[in-house]
Amino acid sequence: MATATSVVPDLAWTKKISSPHELADYRQALLAGMDPDAPCIRVCCGTGCKAVGSLDVLEAMKAAVAAAGVDVKVMPEVKRTGCHGFCSRGPLLTFQPQGLFYQRVTPGDAAEIIQKTAVGGELIPRLLYKPPGAKEPIAKVGDIPFFAKQTKVVLQRVGRIDPFDIRDAIAAGAYEGLAKVLSGMTPQQVIEEIKTSRLRGRGGAGFPTGIKWESCAAQPGRHYVICNGDEGDPGAFMDASVMEGDPHAVLEGMAIAAYAMGSDRGFLYVRLEYPLAVQTLAAAIRQAEDLGLIGRNIMGTDFSFRTSISTGAGAFVCGESSALMSSLEGKVGRPRAKYIRSTEKGFRDSPSNLNNVETYANVPAIILRGGPWYTSYGTERSAGTKVFSLTGNVHNVGLVEVPMGTSLREIVYGIGGGIPNKKELKAVQTGGPSGGCIPIPSKFLDINVGFGKLAEIGSMMGSGGMIVMDENTCMVEVSRYFINFLVEESCGQCTPCREGLTRMKETLTRITVGEGREGDIEMLEEIGTFTNSFSLCGLGTSAANPVLSTIKYFREEYDAHIHDKKCPAGVCKPLFYYEIDPETCTGCGLCRKRCPAAAVEGEKKKPHTIHQELCIKCMECYRSCKFDSIRIK
Amino acid sequence: MKIVMDGKEVAAERGQTIVEVARRNGVYIPTLCHVPALEPAAMCRICTVELAEGRRSRLVTACNYPLRSDAEIHTDTPLLRQNRKVLIELLASRCPGSETLRELAERYGADLNRFPAEDRQCIMCGLCARVCERVGGNVLALCGRGVEIRVDTSFGRLSPTCIACTACVQICPVNAIRFEDVDGERRVIVRGKEASRVPLRRCTSCGARFGPVIDLVPVLERAGESGVPPFNASVCPACSRRNLARRLAERHFEQHAVEPRDAGEES
Amino acid sequence: MSESEAICCQEPEVDFVVLDRIIHEEFGGRREKMIMMMQTIQRHYRYLPEPALYYLAQVLGVPLTKIYEVATFYASFSLVPKGKHLLHVCTGTACHLRGSGGMVRHVAAKLGIAPGGTTPDMKFTLETVNCLGACAVAPVVVYDDKYYPQANVGKLNEFIEKANAD
Repeated sequence: MATATSVVPDLAWTKKISSPHELADYRQALLAGMDPDAPCIRVCCGTGCKAVGSLDVLEAMKAAVAAAGVDVKVMPEVKRTGCHGFCSRGPLLTFQPQGLFYQRVTPGDAAEIIQKTAVGGELIPRLLYKPPGAKEPIAKVGDIPFFAKQTKVVLQRVGRIDPFDIRDAIAAGAYEGLAKVLSGMTPQQVIEEIKTSRLRGRGGAGFPTGIKWESCAAQPGRHYVICNGDEGDPGAFMDASVMEGDPHAVLEGMAIAAYAMGSDRGFLYVRLEYPLAVQTLAAAIRQAEDLGLIGRNIMGTDFSFRTSISTGAGAFVCGESSALMSSLEGKVGRPRAKYIRSTEKGFRDSPSNLNNVETYANVPAIILRGGPWYTSYGTERSAGTKVFSLTGNVHNVGLVEVPMGTSLREIVYGIGGGIPNKKELKAVQTGGPSGGCIPIPSKFLDINVGFGKLAEIGSMMGSGGMIVMDENTCMVEVSRYFINFLVEESCGQCTPCREGLTRMKETLTRITVGEGREGDIEMLEEIGTFTNSFSLCGLGTSAANPVLSTIKYFREEYDAHIHDKKCPAGVCKPLFYYEIDPETCTGCGLCRKRCPAAAVEGEKKKPHTIHQELCIKCMECYRSCKFDSIRIK
Repeated sequence: MKIVMDGKEVAAERGQTIVEVARRNGVYIPTLCHVPALEPAAMCRICTVELAEGRRSRLVTACNYPLRSDAEIHTDTPLLRQNRKVLIELLASRCPGSETLRELAERYGADLNRFPAEDRQCIMCGLCARVCERVGGNVLALCGRGVEIRVDTSFGRLSPTCIACTACVQICPVNAIRFEDVDGERRVIVRGKEASRVPLRRCTSCGARFGPVIDLVPVLERAGESGVPPFNASVCPACSRRNLARRLAERHFEQHAVEPRDAGEES
Repeated sequence: MSESEAICCQEPEVDFVVLDRIIHEEFGGRREKMIMMMQTIQRHYRYLPEPALYYLAQVLGVPLTKIYEVATFYASFSLVPKGKHLLHVCTGTACHLRGSGGMVRHVAAKLGIAPGGTTPDMKFTLETVNCLGACAVAPVVVYDDKYYPQANVGKLNEFIEKANAD
């Protein structure tokens, strides 16, 4: 990982930690060297902020600090951290110890931030966050509803620590759970603690983690501990943020799992599209090995645990456990048709425990604070917290951690800030391509998000993607989108998934171009039921969920496409056209400028018109119009 | 272990699959991708049955589900018949004209023309690829993924490793693979496209072409028969039989001192 | 195998020293690491040259069909060379809702290639990616490894013009 080496401190010269107790001493020594009141600027460098140039901001901040070169005492430390969560306001940074929050920062702002805020102690109002509709900006992180309404367990260190420096993580409490385990807990006690916590797998299926560990531990032979970092659901980036922001939580969780199951070997299977996660994990493993926290004789005990990273090669189906293990063995990632659990016979035909990134990241906190503490969050059936990636048509796009059982209303409106552009909320899609669309507004807005509840209404928890859809979303098109995704990502080996998806895609495509026929809906239901009941793996048996759930809740939209040849939401191109309302059009010319097809015509300050034969229906004019004058017909 | 299949208690041994038990007890379960000689792959899914073990009832594939405890199995419920019907109809669109599918369609009342035909001459049962891996030269494989998965050779080229055993030809349930012997070569043709050309031996006795020229050692190794000396005849089976007959006749006549007749003129 | 030799002669650019370094030094010649070896080979050549896979099969003792299966199964592998400029359009759900599908169709129509395809002059390759995890700034495109947030058709036209002007 050549690109990361420049920022990774080399700890090979450091003395290895030789007992669990010594870790506490090491942390005390680290804390003693840190002044809690010293100014520190945390620049978010998660994938979202990186995409909008946060690395340039980081460099500019460092340069600005160096250039200022005034009183050494107040010189803030500029720290590169993982995702802060508030992705739609990036690039962003927080200013400690006051906890100031600056958003939409550009490299050009760096000097001013240092001069005014670091040296002068003043706020820069233009960089502060102003909630939609509010008059006054909010200066502090803790006062912003997006942050204030969250409960951080998994994400407790994400965005606070430098993921490339293990000392920062240790100072913040990393590996304390592992030290506790190694200083006297038996493997059975560890499993009991996890069982007490009622932690369930965060990857989608929600299998109780403690029970899985127990059954794996009971098997003879060499055990493997595998972490599923192949987060493939489009629109979900929770696991990426955890791996990028706090890789040590994952490693520590895996090591504790390995101890509980008597394993000495672990694998992290990381999605290829997450190069940053691979870098942070690789750096974390190397530093943890240097300090003796991973590897041979961890913290001077008899327990050894080696782990390495394998990357996927772009296959959604590899998130399925048996497919993942095949892929880890260097083979084609097709799910195996075997009625045997991977905890009995998995990777290399040995007992293997596979958990998702977020599941492992929960483990250290549970060990440290106890199972009962964990169950104080969440509901009876779904304990603890869950990280969601809130995306789509919502004000505050980003990473959200809330206790299980929080209502959709609280997530979408309380934390998410509601729907932008005065649009109506139409649906929330959870569970990725295997999940369903929950219709809103109706009784479902106050549903409590948890494993059981979502399954009851035809969706699923999935890994935690939550996509908010407004009135301009066509549900037929959405289900065509997901089916098309699965058509490409199906492994193709079993008939129902392969043929059923082909047929459903063909039918849905027909409907979205206005060639729907009488009986299409019933046929979709018939094929969907067949696919869901006869398929081989979890991908296949949930593949029809997007279709079945949208038919169930939005049947009238299907009818409109098929019978009236209309797309009410204005998405399916052959089924609508744009028209400019001459009454409200001010002739500002913005749509004319934006139109890539030169289809808009009109004189300045006079109502414009759209040439239908030139229009490519790219939505540019519709989105750019400030007066709501573009109408969907 | 008590196994009840369609209401009747049947004999079963622990670890046997549902299909094995059904076959032994004369219960019909349709299969398309299953032959007893190969490890089950559960790809076609038509053998799906309803299984109740304890309180839980679920759908499992009969070809690879090992029976380990008391169970009640239903092999022909309305739900299964309905889904099998859809399955056959879907497969028929990619492989119209298949006799195997026509027979199944009759049984389950499926409409073979329900979906527009797109003739791929293949139902993707994967048997050819599996048998090729097991006994052949690893020539055919399931390439690509998603709905575009297909049976192909590496890079779509003529395979250099084919041993022309034609196991794929024999096993294909929709007769999409054939072979022909032309110009001293055996050509294996998969869905109309040549997959390999293997030269044939020339009989040193009559000059006719027979059996492919291949290195059998790796094949025998794979079959767990590494000690067996490979077959290396230079005479075709017909001539070999004729020669043997002639030798036997010569010996007979030598012993009985009778003038031999010309063996070649026998009919 | 006469055929593989013939192919190796056609494409002499494969450097076996490089392959040996990847297979043995980087991954210890272990069969389980085959996918990662292939990724490294692909990074080196920007695609998977056929002779390299023949060689990999020989060295690892894996049937060529197994390697071909892997190469065609995983979306990130390409058996044909990529163009000089690489455009990835994210088609994750958030990006899709904000019009990335239309952008893909636009570029595909303009260049006359399907997603995954390369223009005949080898200047431009269009690819789609399922989710880059930057949903907040949807729709996202990555052009020559640089992220472009909130992209639109106009932006893509710029890329195409720039690539053609090269």
